[in-house]
Amino acid sequence: MLAELDPLLHSQLRLGIMSILMSVESAEFTFLKEKTNSTAGNLSVQLDKLSEAGYIHIEKSFKGKKPLTTCKITNKGIKAFEEYVNALKQYIKP
Amino acid sequence: METKHDNLNPQQSLEIISDMINQVKGNIRSSSFYFLLWGWVITFCNVGMYYFFKYTEYQRQAPLVWTLCIPAWIITMIYASRQEKKAGVVTHLDRISMWLWIGMAITIFPSWIFGEKINWMVNAIVLMPIGMATFLSGIIIRFRPLILGGITFWIAGTLCYIVGPIEQYLVGAIAMVFGYLVPGYLLKKSNQ
Repeated sequence: MLAELDPLLHSQLRLGIMSILMSVESAEFTFLKEKTNSTAGNLSVQLDKLSEAGYIHIEKSFKGKKPLTTCKITNKGIKAFEEYVNALKQYIKP
Repeated sequence: METKHDNLNPQQSLEIISDMINQVKGNIRSSSFYFLLWGWVITFCNVGMYYFFKYTEYQRQAPLVWTLCIPAWIITMIYASRQEKKAGVVTHLDRISMWLWIGMAITIFPSWIFGEKINWMVNAIVLMPIGMATFLSGIIIRFRPLILGGITFWIAGTLCYIVGPIEQYLVGAIAMVFGYLVPGYLLKKSNQ
């Protein structure tokens, strides 16, 4: 029986965000926006969803007078991502 | 990138994952600034030590030239912090690289403090860990001149055990030119 794909990760933008955060220590909002080629509004909504699920940790601070949002993947997020990739393998196996 | 749920097939999911990983793969910071700053500072300190020991009576005061490392450290920390903020991302290799150099600094720090106890033969001790950090930095950013720079430091460090206590400063200065400055300028050129 095929494992179910995590619906939270099975979306283009959220999967993109999680793939980036899996590869780095931390990334700022502007970096994620540039790399995923998304709009600020949409990215913000998806980050909140991932944060609410405990997959990422969002830290809000200031860079000079500008607000700065930094994102980091959590252990729960790493586990969910690994499980998602493992489930994906089952679908791809010939 | 939009937020599509239904029409994402496993193949597309894999493509997104590999695309995003590729996007950040080449994001390792490779600043020539540190190599040029420290290359000049330590070359100057070594030449200063050689000059004071060889040609003057101020041999007790000579080690004071190393205090030049204090402002260099302050500049390094300010610059590193600004670069981190500017980049918008910190990769695992950035973190490893940072701790590699901090670890190297901690390793060589006692030899500067207690240098007098070893007749200021510090180059023989400090060039080896500098060589290791430079060599590994070259591996991390995949930059061959830096790898060769690391090897230069290892050779120079070994040579310091053979030459006299005053000549080791000259060896140290030459090692800095070929280990830090030449790769530093080549890195600056390649980044441009």
